[in-house]
Amino acid sequence: MATTTIPGGTIGSQIGRSLPRLEARDKVSGRAEYTHNLRLPGMLHGKIFRSTIAHGRIKSIDTSAAKKMPGVFGVYTAEDVRKVIPNPYYGPAFHDQPILAMDKVRFVGEPVAVVLAADPHAAEAAVQEITAEYEELPAVYDEIEALNSKVYVHDELKPAGTFADLKHLTGRKQTNVALDFKLRRGDVEKGFEKAAQVFEHTFRTQKVLHLAFEPFVSIGDAKRDAVTIYTSSQGPSFVRTEIARLLGLPENRVRIRVPYLGGGYGSKLYIKLEALVTALSLLARRPVKISLTMEECFYQITKHPCTFRIKSGVDKEGRIIARKCEVFWNGGAYADVGPRVTQKSGFTASGPYDIENVHVDSYALYTNVTPAGALRGFGIPQLVWSYESHTDMVARALKMDPVEFRRKNILKKGAAQATGTPVKHAPLEAILDRVASRLNWGKPFDKGTGPVKRGRGLAIAIKAVIAPTTSVAVLNVTADGSPILYCGTVDMGQGSDTAMAQIVGEVLNVPAESVRVVPRDTDVTPYDMGTLGSRSLFHMGHAVRIAAEECRAKIEALRKELGEPEGSNIPVADLFKKKYGMQAGNIVGSGTYKPDYIPPQPGTGLTTNVAPFWMVAGAGAEVEVDTETGKVIVTRLINVVDCGKPVNPKIVETQISGATLMQLGFTMFEKMHIDGGQVTNASLADYKIPGIMDVPAVMENEAIDTVQPNGPFGAKGVGETATFCCGPAIANAIDDACGVRITELPLNAEAVYRAIRAQQKTPLEDE
Amino acid sequence: MNISGQITVPAPRAAVFDKLKDAPFFASCVEGVKDLKEIDATHYDAVLETKVAYMKFSFKVTVELTKMSAPDTIEAKIEGTPLGVVGRLTATSRTHLSEADGQTVIAYSIDSTLAGKLGSIGQPVLKAKAKDMEKKFTERLRAVFAAGGPQ
Amino acid sequence: MTPFDLREPTSIKEALGLLNAEDSSVRPVGGGTALMLMMKAGVFRPTRLVSLRKVGGRFSGIKAAGDGSLTIGAMTPLAAIEHSAEVARAAPVITRTMPRLSNVRVRNVATIGGALAHGDPHMDLPPVLLALGATVTIVSPKGERSLAVEDLLTGYYETALAKDELIAEVHVPAQAGRRSAYLKFTAGSAEDWPAVGVAVSLEADRDTIRSATVVASAATSKATRLKSAEAALNGARLDDKALASAGEAGAQEAEVISDVRGSAPYKRELIRVHIGRAVRQAMATNGAH
Repeated sequence: MATTTIPGGTIGSQIGRSLPRLEARDKVSGRAEYTHNLRLPGMLHGKIFRSTIAHGRIKSIDTSAAKKMPGVFGVYTAEDVRKVIPNPYYGPAFHDQPILAMDKVRFVGEPVAVVLAADPHAAEAAVQEITAEYEELPAVYDEIEALNSKVYVHDELKPAGTFADLKHLTGRKQTNVALDFKLRRGDVEKGFEKAAQVFEHTFRTQKVLHLAFEPFVSIGDAKRDAVTIYTSSQGPSFVRTEIARLLGLPENRVRIRVPYLGGGYGSKLYIKLEALVTALSLLARRPVKISLTMEECFYQITKHPCTFRIKSGVDKEGRIIARKCEVFWNGGAYADVGPRVTQKSGFTASGPYDIENVHVDSYALYTNVTPAGALRGFGIPQLVWSYESHTDMVARALKMDPVEFRRKNILKKGAAQATGTPVKHAPLEAILDRVASRLNWGKPFDKGTGPVKRGRGLAIAIKAVIAPTTSVAVLNVTADGSPILYCGTVDMGQGSDTAMAQIVGEVLNVPAESVRVVPRDTDVTPYDMGTLGSRSLFHMGHAVRIAAEECRAKIEALRKELGEPEGSNIPVADLFKKKYGMQAGNIVGSGTYKPDYIPPQPGTGLTTNVAPFWMVAGAGAEVEVDTETGKVIVTRLINVVDCGKPVNPKIVETQISGATLMQLGFTMFEKMHIDGGQVTNASLADYKIPGIMDVPAVMENEAIDTVQPNGPFGAKGVGETATFCCGPAIANAIDDACGVRITELPLNAEAVYRAIRAQQKTPLEDE
Repeated sequence: MNISGQITVPAPRAAVFDKLKDAPFFASCVEGVKDLKEIDATHYDAVLETKVAYMKFSFKVTVELTKMSAPDTIEAKIEGTPLGVVGRLTATSRTHLSEADGQTVIAYSIDSTLAGKLGSIGQPVLKAKAKDMEKKFTERLRAVFAAGGPQ
Repeated sequence: MTPFDLREPTSIKEALGLLNAEDSSVRPVGGGTALMLMMKAGVFRPTRLVSLRKVGGRFSGIKAAGDGSLTIGAMTPLAAIEHSAEVARAAPVITRTMPRLSNVRVRNVATIGGALAHGDPHMDLPPVLLALGATVTIVSPKGERSLAVEDLLTGYYETALAKDELIAEVHVPAQAGRRSAYLKFTAGSAEDWPAVGVAVSLEADRDTIRSATVVASAATSKATRLKSAEAALNGARLDDKALASAGEAGAQEAEVISDVRGSAPYKRELIRVHIGRAVRQAMATNGAH
């Protein structure tokens, strides 16, 4: 790469290296540190008694039999929690979630009481002896129903106050709407009037969950005026702030320690078990560990199901001139980060298209099911599923080629996106061209013979990275010259430690392998907003770069001070020796990064700077549909993404393939079945995620050759990008293969078969 | 989970209705019902014990007759808790009787949900069992009315 | 999971002595892959598990007789069957079934006896063994008896085994001249339990079908012979019409259950389609087997 004007300057030997992950050897040899393996002296295990009703008032909880069970240390309910935390409600957007259910339960599986015992099996046995009586209330499960229902999940809305755009909701009653985001560009109704044709479709996505292979686990160790929490968390800084608030302690009395994570995908953000173990540790005066079983993960946090009504007005030339998007997010019983998903995804709900008149209404809704939060894409995969299925349906109706239709409407370089922010460094056209050319679009394609039909489809997408967020890093160059990096980005399997070490190595001109990245510990590692939304490489990458550049400048200054000639290559260790007379001292640099941002105007959602970078993606799929069974085999799956200059090309490739395979499961078969509020397939025996046999025969993962000029060394994040387009690309391919259109995920064999039968006018009977 | 179906029995509707509204008789047709206790005219307590192979499940149930309108409608609400494991069984049953050529058609529909561990992981086992119980229930009913009716 | 007594007897006699004819909380365990799921789910809480891992003798090993029949010890791991040359020769349909039977971790520990004794209709081997006309030898303190796999399976998780009985061996009769196939259809992930399994075994006189056995599993509460489909096939020539009517007959006959893997009407369609496909696949195999 030639010299560029990107932050960091000329790229040397460390950026662009496909360095194996620094921790790979420890992980495969079973020596990497995980919270699950940690035991503290005197530690108790907690097991949770969960609600068996979806919505109701708690009349009484009888823990007396459980307390008498052998080995039981104690049994605790919300009444006990209140003794140590008087106002035990938490949450990033709303302070709506109680540590243990108070007065009311709002979903089946909500924690109601906890048994503590030295032996987890004793605790588990005692849980079965707890009984609770509820006054059952009607429940609401569906997001559309929740909008106008007289059943209110919460009596009153309680925004956290940290987000300006939620303040107006304070104290609002008789509603399930936790946020209504509006975007208004131009005049959509006038646009529809001018349009030659108007198309309207409704799409739905199902409830699925993250299922990181490491289930949720936290250990609380509360001592007088100081708390240490060991936890599997993607956001230790947030956990510290929120626990400090709950306890009324200054932040320096709360310490959050996070070793490696066995996956997170957005599930381990904000507070999960941390407040509960803290409260229990305060009550028991012992360290308390809660590790969920895989089955219990179905009651912690999920992806948002969503209903998306999309309406487009198209002129005679096939240009989309107006688009109305109504998006309803099923947030479950507690808001978690749902309102943020609702708002941030709303910025791009109209897709990567240049549309004069755009109207977006995006609603976060409370319902009586497991809460929903962030899941690898922050709502974008649900939106892309809808708008890219819609795009193909419109193109087909107009008898236009789907690629041509997209090309005609795509956001061109520098054009303003729906919010009014220009899309710079978002190579949408190049990505569309790459996907189309990989699919040999426009060339003949074997459509199959007999009952097996073949088809191909594609999709493109855009996401605005979440803004504004802050990252801080500290770099310590020790007396022998070896660098130690302190940064709060959590390595949950995405390889961030390796990437950050590469950035340090690049600046200091040392091998990345020589950089030590300290495990996350809020007493040691500085603030970071959280490992989420593909933000870390950009934001923390800059903070690390700045910290390393400061160290480099200080080393340079020391050289000068010690009379070393300009350009001397004297080792850093020798500089320290010369300065201090022995191997001593260190050089510390720090970096803080927060990008520029202009908040969207309330009511219109318009701004000229909604995000520091765009994430754009395209996918192509080739499928075989067995029309006698509905079974779809994805024979080829192509993903082309933009991540700027890849810091570590091998990790980029595995992020692309991993993200799209995860989305392949959400697309093809994953679904939480819910009956009367109860998840009826809450285990890996009945809820399957993709296995090796589900991997398409041909997978092509491409990071397009480009540079993000304002990114560290031209780079930006890539963790989510390949999740966006998988679903609609496959649905479009199924339509191409056998002429059926499925508007609700998943595209499992029965759904496809039923669609085929409906199209043949011989619909298959229901149950 | 919904179980619904209908059976035809060779007896007049009024006779069938009289028999079905008699809780002890009704309970005797359901496999595994034990210790039926009348609380009042419309409320009963019982224990429901069922076995699938080597697995045993016991539920403490309360039955409330929510609608009893002669000669054709009986509705009940059942709530229960499994013994030894956290959970909850709720069901509503609707039975409707109609006349057809001197015989009586009993149409039934039971909506049930099972929450807690049994409702998630044990669901396939219990679903199969419920089908089995339905079969036995209809067999017993048929047998009773076929054997000369309930007079 | 609550603590329980785990025993590892080293002889059949000792194993039988540890079982209890009256107490259903005492269970024998083979590989444990299925039973552990029941225990984790809390639907089964044993007071004692009798592991058959160390029993040995007739419980382990694969023997092929000169007539082409097979005797497989109940504790033989599925992986051993998968890689057995004798099995591949005598009943290649078993070998073909293995790669998609659960996963390699399970196949390394799960046993053939366990696959039958567990009575889960989603398992792959019971319909295959049933179609092949396999029998089991059952031992108990009272002695020994032989039972056809067809009679062993009585319902969802239910078998004809008494609480103090153990499957010691599985016998697969000589398959000379018979052709067999097993089709497993997963509605979602390829690694999911099947929504439908269909096993067929038949003889053929050129393209005329004789003595067909057709078994449906997974969609039904136990691996079940579909006799009307068999009747439709017997004496029929292999053509689309015959297969369609066999499929139709089988789909009508099967008592299908709906669950998270599919609705009953859908599974009925799957049975319809897969009977024909399985017959075609069986007919395409080498008639020597």
